[in-house]
Amino acid sequence: MKKKILSVILASAMVVSLAACGSTPETTPAASTDATTETAADESATDTAAADTEEAAPAQTGDLSYTTLNLDDYKDFSASIKYIHHKTDREEDGTMAAMIAEFNKEFPNITVTTEAVTDYAEDSLLRLTTGDWGDIMHIPAVDKSDLATYFMPLDTLDNLSQSLNFVSSWSYDGVCYGIPYMANAQGLLYNKKVFADAGITTLPKTADEFLDDLQLIKDNTDAIPLYTNYAAGWTMGAWDAYVGIVSNGDDTYMNQKLVHTAEPFADPGDGSGAYNVYRILYDACARGLIEDDYTTTDWEGCKGMLNRGEIGTMVLGSWAFAQMQEAGDTPENVGYMPFPITVGGVQYVAAGGDYNYGINANASDENKTAALIFVKWMTEKSDWCYNEGGYTVVKGGKNPDMYAAFDGCTVMSDQDALPGEADFLNQMNAESELSINAGGNDKVQKIVEAGATGSQDFASIMDEWNQKWADAQEELGIEVLY
Amino acid sequence: MKKKRTFGEWARSRDGQKLFVIMAFMIIPLVLLFVFTYLPFGEMFGYSFYNMKYTGARKFVGLKNYAKVFQRDDCFKALKLSFYYMAGSVVQLVLALYLATVLSFRVKGGGLFKGLMFFPYLINGIAIGFIFKFFYTRGFVFDSVLQWCGFELDNLPYWLKDQSINNWSLVGTSVWRYFGQNMVLFIGAIMSVDNDLYEAAMLDGANKAQQFMYIILPSIKTIITLNVILSITGSLSAFEPPYVITSGANGTGTYFVVMHEIAHTQQKVGLASAMAIVLLAIILTATGLQKLFFKYVFRSAEDEDINATKKREKRLARMNRAKARS
Repeated sequence: MKKKILSVILASAMVVSLAACGSTPETTPAASTDATTETAADESATDTAAADTEEAAPAQTGDLSYTTLNLDDYKDFSASIKYIHHKTDREEDGTMAAMIAEFNKEFPNITVTTEAVTDYAEDSLLRLTTGDWGDIMHIPAVDKSDLATYFMPLDTLDNLSQSLNFVSSWSYDGVCYGIPYMANAQGLLYNKKVFADAGITTLPKTADEFLDDLQLIKDNTDAIPLYTNYAAGWTMGAWDAYVGIVSNGDDTYMNQKLVHTAEPFADPGDGSGAYNVYRILYDACARGLIEDDYTTTDWEGCKGMLNRGEIGTMVLGSWAFAQMQEAGDTPENVGYMPFPITVGGVQYVAAGGDYNYGINANASDENKTAALIFVKWMTEKSDWCYNEGGYTVVKGGKNPDMYAAFDGCTVMSDQDALPGEADFLNQMNAESELSINAGGNDKVQKIVEAGATGSQDFASIMDEWNQKWADAQEELGIEVLY
Repeated sequence: MKKKRTFGEWARSRDGQKLFVIMAFMIIPLVLLFVFTYLPFGEMFGYSFYNMKYTGARKFVGLKNYAKVFQRDDCFKALKLSFYYMAGSVVQLVLALYLATVLSFRVKGGGLFKGLMFFPYLINGIAIGFIFKFFYTRGFVFDSVLQWCGFELDNLPYWLKDQSINNWSLVGTSVWRYFGQNMVLFIGAIMSVDNDLYEAAMLDGANKAQQFMYIILPSIKTIITLNVILSITGSLSAFEPPYVITSGANGTGTYFVVMHEIAHTQQKVGLASAMAIVLLAIILTATGLQKLFFKYVFRSAEDEDINATKKREKRLARMNRAKARS
């Protein structure tokens, strides 16, 4: 009997130790990548002093820059380059091969081999540090200060931003190292047929117009005017995306000003600001314009419901658009419109680049030139961004139909945090527990509860948030400037 | 006379070898226990005095975190939700005890019933969460069943939305899941009662209820005590039903759910650690109180009545004194 007990103890001990093994890898990737980036940075620093000169004077790098490169001059250029990317679906369905074939019609002597990497975010980082990955890749999450070590400067930020959108995300010290292959814009999803049936002829531009339209949907159709997706949680956090550019037209607000703002949730009185973003939700709940039982919403089910016209509107980013279209038989009814808030007569749209093309800093000059030709062709001539349903990267380029309603809106993307303040927003989010754009789902859920049950009025919720924000600023010693 | 052995002799002797072998076997589980349980716990205890995140600098704040646990609206007050789960565990134990008693006598299809009622315990807690999410959805399973029984949908409450009953809905899932397991434990204990006792009781004219009160209940008191303690501590640390079904929203955030939120979303590791220590203290206190309580309740069953003992002792003493005088 004693032996039995002992063996059971031993066996369970082994299970415990196994379980412990299972949990360790979670922490290691971050640590190991950190370590590897460091060593790689050291190597390349000794390897090439070239990286330094590139950083100092990008325009001199063989006089290669995105804006000055004229595609027509390089029709006979010959080289062989390799492109690694994350779009495994497009690699498999032949879209990528078709685009390369199209490219080779104009540049017959440039051979492009492509490779789609599953689990891109991690694998690409590992490959990047080995140095032997090819000539073009979608830039993974590297530190901006390391950009010059790995990637060729494409142009100055000033030059590029004249012709392209969203190029600032991989720029450092005024030099751009990446160009997004496509971009996403934040608006909200609606069903066109429901809107037509409800008698809505023009899309709402303000919070009050939107709420009136929701009422029309409720009165005139059987559809749920606004589906909150309360139960899934993270879908509620999506409301945070409209704080900043969309609600006040200021692209420095989210990453620079918010942390220094006193009472960011106060009512500005003109129908703008974060106050009115969340007020839409509160009022919709208070007026019964949401689903009957918000606690049992079903994320997978809602896609088909929007497609079929059982839901009028849903507040989610543009990435959700394609999923809603695929979820049913009437994709033509799925629409996308700017968030209904107008600031000083203008509707603003927050948009940002997806993965960026980056060119290997350690490739031969020949390959660098060919890679830049390829990137420029992909950006300007391939229509890839358009076909993926992305917001145009080229200024004045054509947008997919889903963005038709965005004409006339001002599109912006958030600027980076000021130097030395990069961590402020994270700290404030954690300390205040509001976690704006960082998983603060429960605070938005509470708005739904308060609105639907009438347990608390909206102004007092916003007062609470302001108080939390102020307390956090005091606790962290962050200066109040605005 | 026993000759004193040197250490070397002792180590080679049977006694010494026995001790070494025991130690060799014990050292592995003990080291694992220390490394994976007591060491992390000690670390956590240390964290509870700091204002810290998982990464970055930490700041010593003394007992401030503990003060916050009691001051914040969402921390300590979340414990009152535990009363729902405690009430549920009483229902659960009574139900389990009743069914166990019935099933431990010859019942047609007893094995099948045991299996069916034990089955929920075998399902993964997360899966149960998803099952009940749909079960309680408006117009889905539960509402349909009630409609078959003649209820109107309009008269039925929203099981998860209505804040006055949503906690009961969640408690229901937990009762459904665990009563089968309690029942099986009770059956096991009841089976070990000697059959002769029932026979003797029957000859004395005891009915089933009396048999239960005076034979079964006293015989399985240890397992009952254990189950009650486990249920109460379980109620204090209820996590899965609210986390999976309602994600702790809508007034269903139990202490554990709030702790998880604070530790992982808000990354206030110090505060969450303090919450864990406070909960541990509460659980230890609750367990201690329960032990005292059961000691009192079951005392007369095992020992004689204290008064009776005293009387007898007095009588004996008197008799002895009388004897001594004569």
